[in-house]
Amino acid sequence: MIKITQWIVVTLVLCLSVSVAFSQGLAPLSNVTAVDTPNDNGSSITIKWDAAAEDSGVSGYQILRRIADGELEAIGDLLPAETSTYVDSAIEKGTAYAYIVRAVSETEATVDSEQTAPVEGTGEWFHTGKIPLFITMLLFSAAIVWNIYSARSGKDIFVRRIPGLEAVDEAIGRATEMGRSILYSTGLGGVSGVATIASMTILGQVARRTADYETSLRVPCRDPIVLNVVREMVKTAYLEEGRPDAYNEDDIFFLTESQFAYAAGVEGMMLREKPAAIFLQGTFYAESLILAETGNSVGAIQIAGTDSEHQLPFFIAACDYTLIGEELYAASAYLSREPMLLGSLRGQDWGKLLIFAAIVLGVVLELSGVSWITTLLQRVS
Amino acid sequence: MKRQVPLVLCFVFGIVMIFTQFSPHSFSQGIYEEVISWALIIGPFALVLATVTLIQTHTARIRRRTEHWQYSFVVFAGLIIMVLIGIPFKPQNSVFEWLYNNVQLPMDATMFSLLAFFIASAAYRAFRARTFEASLLLITALIVMMGNVPVGDLLSNDTASKARQWILDNPNLSARRGIILGVSLGVISQSIRIILGIERSYLGGGD
Repeated sequence: MIKITQWIVVTLVLCLSVSVAFSQGLAPLSNVTAVDTPNDNGSSITIKWDAAAEDSGVSGYQILRRIADGELEAIGDLLPAETSTYVDSAIEKGTAYAYIVRAVSETEATVDSEQTAPVEGTGEWFHTGKIPLFITMLLFSAAIVWNIYSARSGKDIFVRRIPGLEAVDEAIGRATEMGRSILYSTGLGGVSGVATIASMTILGQVARRTADYETSLRVPCRDPIVLNVVREMVKTAYLEEGRPDAYNEDDIFFLTESQFAYAAGVEGMMLREKPAAIFLQGTFYAESLILAETGNSVGAIQIAGTDSEHQLPFFIAACDYTLIGEELYAASAYLSREPMLLGSLRGQDWGKLLIFAAIVLGVVLELSGVSWITTLLQRVS
Repeated sequence: MKRQVPLVLCFVFGIVMIFTQFSPHSFSQGIYEEVISWALIIGPFALVLATVTLIQTHTARIRRRTEHWQYSFVVFAGLIIMVLIGIPFKPQNSVFEWLYNNVQLPMDATMFSLLAFFIASAAYRAFRARTFEASLLLITALIVMMGNVPVGDLLSNDTASKARQWILDNPNLSARRGIILGVSLGVISQSIRIILGIERSYLGGGD
């Protein structure tokens, strides 16, 4: 008897809900699908549906989900009427979820869609959206590697003159003649920064020459790990030049990790010690001009180099020579003249040529009304 | 052996870290996060060494009575006070925060504000119209400056700000993108050299 009563009540409630829904003009949403979100680590499921028409009276959607035969639970807030996608990021791996999208009217009448098939979140091993990027990277890497190994044959590789690097010997020679020190800053970057590694490579070459000329080389560091690597590099450079006695560990020291305190410290060194040559190589931020202008005011020959394009104008204005962007990375090859390193520069130029050709082709095609290359690049980005 | 082990490690981790950039799977992302946390662990050990060198440098300055050696006492005072307050009472301590907000921050701001004067002196040298390029730079800078100040638009009926925007969006942005492209290719090239063990100077010494 009780069961019959419950059945009648449930049927009445359902009939009432359906009649209210239809009285508001609400219809169940169509094409509701739930799929594992592609190219993620399996931590989300994407639910899609056809958004209700503007005059349908739907004011929003509520997403409901259930695990196996469990209870329905509402997830997230009420979504705006124009929404047609929802990403459920609060899922547990290995659990299958089924979804219902509930359309809600302004009078709070509701109608539920059909329940989707249960779906699990699974992680993908390869991001298919990054395939064009992966192919480009492989092509570019292959060009560099091919040039590196073809350079081993001993073929002469032309490298254009880089005045900033030509001036390294001049700067060290000037400091030696004047009997003053050389100040070398590796900038604010950490050891994981490629610009800092490039800077340390140049420092290694500078240290070889200062070891030869017995000129004092002062290196204030901002990063503790950089400090230790730099000490090791300079020490080995002095050893290899047969001048371990000329190496002074105290000349390479930690200043501070604070950006402007570092700037103040280096500025103070410039004003007190009046170095004859200053190298500012690596990653720099707002302190770039403070350092370069102070160096200029003490009359030092200054060679700067950075890949921070916002700081380049400051260095160009205040320093004698500036390594612009990629020239910083070319420095080790340029200074050492190692064929394999020079080969990588040629590979780099091939990459530039390819990009330049793509730009020219893209402009010509776009002007001719063909936009597939632009669409392809937009998809890649 | 001293060289080979780091080179092999560099190659293996370099390739693995490239792979993690193309694999969203939780296993590869776990490796990525793990390796990054290893790098973070090295930091504090290096900081101890760095602090020791800082103390050595300033002790030597005091001992040798070099120029302005008295300021080294200020370094020691700052170091000791911040360590004594920061370690037992944590950086959230009100005294520690007061010292940070009322000593370090104003000093940082002072250094930063000096930049305005340095920009003026550097601009004076860079914009002296001695050559065609410098004259072009001067004219461009004048237009951009006029476009940035309200009086520029008042005098030119909004032409200055439009010209400024055109300069920033076209010649300036094109040049910047050219530099960024070169830098990106340079970074890839340098990374390949390091991963393949061709560039070894970061291990200490030459190639």
